Amino acid sequence: MSAGTRSAPLDRLLRPLHKWVWSDHDRRVRKLLIFGAVETDGGRDILRASEVTPDPLLRRLYLEHAIDELHHGVLFRERGEALLRQRGLREGGLFSGNPLPGGHGLDDLVVEDQGDPRLLAFLHIAEKTAAGRFAIYKDCVADDPATLAIFEKVLRDEVFHMNYSYQQLGRLTPELQRRHVWRARGTRLWNRYLRVAAAIAGLIGNILLTGMYFIVLPPFAWAARRAERRETPGWRALAADRAASPTSQY
Amino acid sequence: MKILGISAHYHDSAAALVVDGVPVAAVQEERLSRHKNDAGFPLHAIEWCLDREKLDPGDLDAVVFYERSMLKFARILTCTLRAFPRSWRSFPHAMKNTLGDKVWVRGIIASQLGVDRKKILFTGHHEAHAAAAFLTSPSRRAAILTADGVGEWATLTAGSGARGDAAGLQTAETSISLRREVRFPHSLGMLYSTFTAYLGFAVNEDEYKVMGLAAYGRPTMVDQVRRVIRRTPDGAFTIVPEYFEYQTTATRSYSSKFVDLFGPPRPSYEPIDVETAEGRRFADIAASVQRVLEDTLVDIARALQQETQLPDLCFGGGVALNGVANARILAESGFERVFVPPAPGDAGCALGAALYADRVYFKNPDRDVPDHPFWGPEVDAAHLARAAREDDQHVDEFNDAALIERVAADLAANRIVGWMDGASEYGPRALGHRSLLAAPHAIAMRDRLNREIKHREEFRPFAPVVTAEAADRYFALPAGGARLARFMSGVFPVRSEWRAELAAVTHVDGSARVQVLERSMAPRLHALLEACGRRNGMPVLLNTSFNVAGEPIVNTALEGYSTFRRCGIDVLVAGPAVVTKRATASAKPATEHVA
Repeated sequence: MSAGTRSAPLDRLLRPLHKWVWSDHDRRVRKLLIFGAVETDGGRDILRASEVTPDPLLRRLYLEHAIDELHHGVLFRERGEALLRQRGLREGGLFSGNPLPGGHGLDDLVVEDQGDPRLLAFLHIAEKTAAGRFAIYKDCVADDPATLAIFEKVLRDEVFHMNYSYQQLGRLTPELQRRHVWRARGTRLWNRYLRVAAAIAGLIGNILLTGMYFIVLPPFAWAARRAERRETPGWRALAADRAASPTSQY
Repeated sequence: MKILGISAHYHDSAAALVVDGVPVAAVQEERLSRHKNDAGFPLHAIEWCLDREKLDPGDLDAVVFYERSMLKFARILTCTLRAFPRSWRSFPHAMKNTLGDKVWVRGIIASQLGVDRKKILFTGHHEAHAAAAFLTSPSRRAAILTADGVGEWATLTAGSGARGDAAGLQTAETSISLRREVRFPHSLGMLYSTFTAYLGFAVNEDEYKVMGLAAYGRPTMVDQVRRVIRRTPDGAFTIVPEYFEYQTTATRSYSSKFVDLFGPPRPSYEPIDVETAEGRRFADIAASVQRVLEDTLVDIARALQQETQLPDLCFGGGVALNGVANARILAESGFERVFVPPAPGDAGCALGAALYADRVYFKNPDRDVPDHPFWGPEVDAAHLARAAREDDQHVDEFNDAALIERVAADLAANRIVGWMDGASEYGPRALGHRSLLAAPHAIAMRDRLNREIKHREEFRPFAPVVTAEAADRYFALPAGGARLARFMSGVFPVRSEWRAELAAVTHVDGSARVQVLERSMAPRLHALLEACGRRNGMPVLLNTSFNVAGEPIVNTALEGYSTFRRCGIDVLVAGPAVVTKRATASAKPATEHVA
């Protein structure tokens, strides 16, 4: 493991779980394809940053960073697809749930709303977390040289990304560098909380709506099916005077 | 009168502004948010439209939404009820999806823009399509056909339109009269999308891949396709529900019975090789559904022509993006001219809704709409020159004549040119203001574009652009073909004697989705084509959208520049500035220590 790419304590604690996830062919494929999508999305966000920053040096660095991320996306996707072709996925499908969160993504970042210092702090934290996690994943796929090579390449790039973002943050706001980093950590934590809360709320909503479906809807369903049987296929004439009110949503 | 049109919440959001009966601004949200097919509320697009005319939301006389959202919700709920109890999984998702924001459109618009709720109006989805097709065309009276996946209930409508004064009466009002409709789940758009999904492509995005693949196949499975969609005695059609699931769930569009009929679907990660038996099977299926779609549309259009006895057809809705079908409608339906707007899909409904409100709700006098697609943001060449110089790229600035000659020389030398000129296009096609241009002659150029920039499947063709004056020489255009090709809406044969010299833009079946360019529409590109013609005798170029796979077409100069920097584009042009790529030193050190 490279110096400075130490994994977070939680990830180190979860190392057996990570090993379990990566030991299975289907889960490995799914993770790689998800990483492909996440890295591509992140690359596009950073590309956007390169298009909106007024700072010429940052424009070059962001662009290089974006090219790396987009390339990582291609590497992960192609590797996932290659594994898929080696052996088709078992029952359950590709996207039947993500067994573990992975990659770093950019937390639905709206680049235009961030100043460069906030964005750099955010990138630094995101890349550092990703580098730590990829270091663990690299150990988990030691039996798979092609996937291992991808993680080694990605890890090298992530180190560059976390370094340049920290250094540029120091250049732009030397006195507020640490404060921006801590604030980015807080924001990241808050976003995670929001995601978990939204997932729980979604689950509760699903349970309530499913209950309503079976308790309230049956008579309406019967009426709807009865009405459907009366419909004739083909053209349906529209009355010339049918024009609805311009303010009506019906 | 100032009217803002909005389309949003399903795919391809957009906003359009009509002032005194004429469009002044229109743009898709994806071009500004940079998220492809952005379906969110188009706040960026709205802000840009208003800023362009220096308007506040309070200055607007009306804001028009492109469909009746509660009616659409009623359709979703009804379909869920009809599928009870099989729809139990999709019900929570459908309710959360629609009740979350989609049915509260009036409130969203009022709160986001701060406009009086009384100013917020609604049109029918297909009325917006019809208006986008008819009121942007130069036709005074025309038959109107719209076809897409689904709006509220309608999936296909037929009718006619007449502009005010069409009968020579000063008081005559513009009318759009949709006389009949086919209702969900019976949908040509959903049929095509189902086959798109079955063939392993992305629904609502990759339908044109099915059309491209179809040219490699033979329609050997037409009978099977006709088992899943049947014609009705009145000339319409009905899908056979047992073969489909899109009407009951959002997660899968075809049933196991469909798979029994057509065989296993293509996994999206498997490349298509049309040299293999499996690849040919998929190509044959694509050719078969394409044939059935064309036959159905031609029959419906022919019946509409006989009914209306009008020479012009205005065709709107997402299905009108199918250029092969459009060409057959022109050739076989009896219409002399077929008009397809540059944005026939849902994005175009923003403009359609605003025009519909202006002419039909407010009964304003008819105004001619400029016959071009360039309603988006202008490119700022100074931004490009500054950014490129800051990056040590080579920048030249020329007057127009010298620039044209310089770019023609680059194209003759087989360089790929990123071409940004004036306002961006409204709609999915790059029609000469945000285009990648290249020499159309060699297959090697097509392969290079695919390898270094577009990363497309091999079976997908690139399109040519040709001057109107020379179009007939290279392409077998029927009467009315040049008009259909104005916005790249028709696929026509390349004349056999030119196919070898136009190999990069000639599809496997000898056809091309050609853009026929009149000087008045894009004068600089027209001049460039003429300059190329002076050099090699052929005023034809390969013209593809200025983007890389998965990204929206570029909008600003800096978006063009960042695309130029990271792929195989050799030369970038915006206004007078020409940037020639040269290698820059990487900012990345060979080895890295952690900060």
